[in-house]
Amino acid sequence: MPKFDPLREPLDHGDWDRVVVLLNGMDAQVAGDALQGLPAESQKQLFAKLPVDTAAKIAGVLPYFEAYVLLHSRPLEEMRDIVDRMDSGERLRFFDELPEEAWQQMTDEMGAERTGEIEHAHALPAKPEPLPVLPLIEARQVEKRYARAGGGSTQVIAPTDLTVESGLITSMLGPSGSGKSTLLRMLSGLSEPSSGEVLWHGKPLRESDGGGPNCAIVFQSFALFPWLTVVENVEVPLVARGMRVRERRRKAIKALDSVGLRGFASAYPKELSGGMKQRVGLARALAVQPEVLFMDEPFSALDVLTAENLRGELMELWLSRKMPAKSIFLVTHNIEEAVMLADRILVLGRNPARIRADFRIQIKHPRDRNAPEFLVYVDYIYKLLTQPTLDAAHPPTMAGAKQAYQMIPHARIGSIGGLLELLNDRGGSDDLYRVADELRMELDDLLPIVEAAALLKFAKSARGDVEVTYEGKKFAEAEIHDRTRLFRDAALANVTLLQQMQSALMSKSDHTMPLEFFRDVLREHFAEDEMKLQIDTALNWGRSGDIFTYQPETDRLALFSAVIPAEADEVETS
Amino acid sequence: MSDSASSTRHSFPPWAAVSSTVPSLLRDLPILAAGLGIFWGLISLSRYWGSNAGSQPDIELRLAVLPKYALFSVARIAIAYAVSLMVTIVYAYVAAHNAKAERIMIPLLDTLQSIPVLSFLPPVMIAMVGLFPSRQLGVELGSIVLIFTGQVWNMTFSVYSSLKNIPRELLEAAEVYRLSWWQKLIQLELPYSAIGLVWNSMMSVAGAWFFLMACEMFTLGNRDLRLPGLGSYLETAANAGNMRAVAWGLAAMVSVIVLMDQLIWRPAIAWSEKFKFEQVEASQTPRSPVLDVLRQSRLLSFAAAVTVAPVREAVTLRLARLHTEARPRHASAWGSRTALACGTAAAAVIVFAVARMIVELSTISLYGVREILTGAAATFLRVEFVLVLAACWTVPVGVYIGLRPRLAALAQPLAQIAASVPATALFPIILVALIRVGGGLGVGSIVLLMLGTQWYILFNVIAGASAIPTDLKEVCNIYGLRGRDRWRKLLLPGIFPFLITGLVTASGGAWNASIVAEYTRIHNQTYSTVGLGAVISRCADSGDFAVLLGATVVMATMVVTVNRLLWRRLYALAQTRYKLET
Repeated sequence: MPKFDPLREPLDHGDWDRVVVLLNGMDAQVAGDALQGLPAESQKQLFAKLPVDTAAKIAGVLPYFEAYVLLHSRPLEEMRDIVDRMDSGERLRFFDELPEEAWQQMTDEMGAERTGEIEHAHALPAKPEPLPVLPLIEARQVEKRYARAGGGSTQVIAPTDLTVESGLITSMLGPSGSGKSTLLRMLSGLSEPSSGEVLWHGKPLRESDGGGPNCAIVFQSFALFPWLTVVENVEVPLVARGMRVRERRRKAIKALDSVGLRGFASAYPKELSGGMKQRVGLARALAVQPEVLFMDEPFSALDVLTAENLRGELMELWLSRKMPAKSIFLVTHNIEEAVMLADRILVLGRNPARIRADFRIQIKHPRDRNAPEFLVYVDYIYKLLTQPTLDAAHPPTMAGAKQAYQMIPHARIGSIGGLLELLNDRGGSDDLYRVADELRMELDDLLPIVEAAALLKFAKSARGDVEVTYEGKKFAEAEIHDRTRLFRDAALANVTLLQQMQSALMSKSDHTMPLEFFRDVLREHFAEDEMKLQIDTALNWGRSGDIFTYQPETDRLALFSAVIPAEADEVETS
Repeated sequence: MSDSASSTRHSFPPWAAVSSTVPSLLRDLPILAAGLGIFWGLISLSRYWGSNAGSQPDIELRLAVLPKYALFSVARIAIAYAVSLMVTIVYAYVAAHNAKAERIMIPLLDTLQSIPVLSFLPPVMIAMVGLFPSRQLGVELGSIVLIFTGQVWNMTFSVYSSLKNIPRELLEAAEVYRLSWWQKLIQLELPYSAIGLVWNSMMSVAGAWFFLMACEMFTLGNRDLRLPGLGSYLETAANAGNMRAVAWGLAAMVSVIVLMDQLIWRPAIAWSEKFKFEQVEASQTPRSPVLDVLRQSRLLSFAAAVTVAPVREAVTLRLARLHTEARPRHASAWGSRTALACGTAAAAVIVFAVARMIVELSTISLYGVREILTGAAATFLRVEFVLVLAACWTVPVGVYIGLRPRLAALAQPLAQIAASVPATALFPIILVALIRVGGGLGVGSIVLLMLGTQWYILFNVIAGASAIPTDLKEVCNIYGLRGRDRWRKLLLPGIFPFLITGLVTASGGAWNASIVAEYTRIHNQTYSTVGLGAVISRCADSGDFAVLLGATVVMATMVVTVNRLLWRRLYALAQTRYKLET
């Protein structure tokens, strides 16, 4: 990690003043980058030491969420001074990007009486936190490709560099189908990358002894063996390590004790609730004393309250260091969950998957999900995910020269209509995280609908907001009959696959085509599962917009106007 | 270990509560008695095989021999089942784990599954009798081979598809926690396959009775290849016109089947319940008093604790340590070379056998060819006619019963008992009656085939009709759909998938039955009708091996072809278009 280098040597010696001098002398952009490379606590401590001018200069180039948190690490008056001295353009941009709660608080603070109501502690430790030396896991240019039926291969994960550091909870966020789980499986050694390599402690995976890396996975579906009792389930990995009966029983009971399930040792998993099952999964993982604890959407199969409770207990185990794991790697599609738990967040983009952003969360535990600083992060992640072109970490890298094929978000038109109506009722636009909160929808469910509305130009999503366009407003207010027409026009104007389908059907004399033809077209660009989803969605859209009809028996598409002219006329005249 | 854990926390039904107050020694009494019974059975079996092996046994009709005959019949099935179980696990395990082998093994399995096993009855019996110096031993082995062939394939398929359908996350858990192949087999793969295996074992053994009866009463012309057992007892009794003996024989057969159900299958099903892959506990679970007795037995749990548990522990730990130390690379290179050698050898044998077969087939005369073809056509038409005929009465009756839940609850067990008697056991009785009435085998064979097929269809139609959702029935009532419309829009589409399943099973049964239904010998007189089954039996009788081979190949090919072209397509249609999704 070369970013650290200019500050590493003085920091290692605890020479804060020298670091401040160094930062003072640097170009704002370079200083900002260097600062962001440091552990969260060190960042705050350094920023608190910076002269007001330098702080203003650096705050101007930082991402708004970082700037927001760092600014609040200084006493109120100093913060106001810094904001006042920021470049006016940068200040405007900063305020503009803040979500509503944070903007409100910032404005209040700027205008408030100069009292010391917000207190900040500033006792600097003698030595800053040591900088990480060697990451636990390092993935170098790992890539995943799946062979296509007709030869060639589809890239699902673009060559990616990734590290997992000791002492941190790293969370990987991304929309469904973005390859989060595949990346997790490559890091844990379950799945081999098509190219590139994964290093544990600097050694390639296959050279590690004892049959594999020392890790454990907590699965979304729990993956317990229903025919074994709770304690036998926890013992499964211990048996695999050749541990004798008495010792493994003792370890298993200890692990169960730590998740509060000791009394259920002889129960069968099917007698337990979902939350308890996942605790068994956690106990099984902890029993092997893993170095890295991988968690693959561990809370998604649970109801909201249970999930919340379990998250709290996980954090308690982690913060009290009762957990043997040195690091937790958590895959999730729940933004709030990631911001709640993680010290570091990786945001994945899809098709093919690549890391779009990698940043640290600078909020102390326990975190309050209604705090403005919390919402700043949530808003930022929404912004990233709704703007596929916005690349925080890397400039857009087109690995292959091939232009990516347009991907249809998997949304039904009923949901698109519902979202547009909701937004229209609320004055045309709103913050995405509010919409998600109001609808009690998770990112995975909401995002495709927003993307679909944006693709059809019914809505615009920018900077974490979503706004209904003129066409969208018309669609939201139209009657059923007109909606079909509006949808058809929008779909044919904006969706490549539907355009191709329609023109292919028109060019045929009988106006029909086998669907398999289009499947083949898509196989060039997507993996098999994704191809099926694309075709399903295209069928739904094409049929909803009266573009074509589909016969499942013959697996053929037929142009709508060619098949139903008589009936269509009847409707017109009646 | 898991058994003892479960028995301590299981909630028991009333009878168990009573038995828990009984001293434990008394509770173990039935188990001790059963142990002694099994011991006696083994001794008398070994005496029979030790002494009678060479000579031709007389089939006696005294009532006193019935328990012994029943024991012999059960022993044949048990041995065939044990072999099937071993072959099943090995075959399915290899097919599921080795992609290259899978590509050959699964289509092969698919074909073997649809070949009518009984078409091999005459050739296998002849081969076995020729192969073994002691004729009796040859016939014994022949019957076991045939029963094995009849029951192994669906068991194998069930285990294979279970292994292939293990949820991905369970497999990943096994891998990330580094389970050895052995631990994975006994803690994940076998438990996951257990329920399917138990059900298919039950079906296989029920089907085995069908083949066993045919084997035990098998005669070729004037050569008597019968085996002492329930099948030969029934046949001899029917031939002798001894109706009292026939009744006792049937009673013995039904009680053996019912006893096996109560003592083996019910406990097995109740036991396999714990392997159900479900997230929540089912409200109603199958129970078995026998299983509860076994689970409560201190004797058994003690025996298991000193024998099975330590061995399993030692093997598991040893293999676990080997697994974590092992470098699998070398082993796999060696393994693939062995596999290559085995594959080449197998291919060579197959090529040789096919070549010999072609040489043999080329000696068939024009007359023989014509005979095979007319026979094939006749049997084909007969089988399809029987299916249509059976569907004609079972569909209305089955729908009538299925739509009335109370009637269905009453009729189902009765029909199950009726169907549990293998059709082949009834053949001699019905034949004797038919011949007295004066009908030939032309009509007789159709009656016999019906007997073997109609139950499958009836069961499935009843099940299908009772599965039609109430809301669909109500929709029909509201819109006044009656008579023909009701049948066309609701009832026929509703039962379609079930009807097809029934017809597929029935079709397989009918082809098998045609071998024994088209050609038979009563009172030293041969009765036969035109058909492929008759050709096969007659040629085996007269030693015309070329035509025998040709007819067997034609029958197998025909059945496989009809399966592929007709039944599989209908089945696919039923599964997609006519599936009632909830």
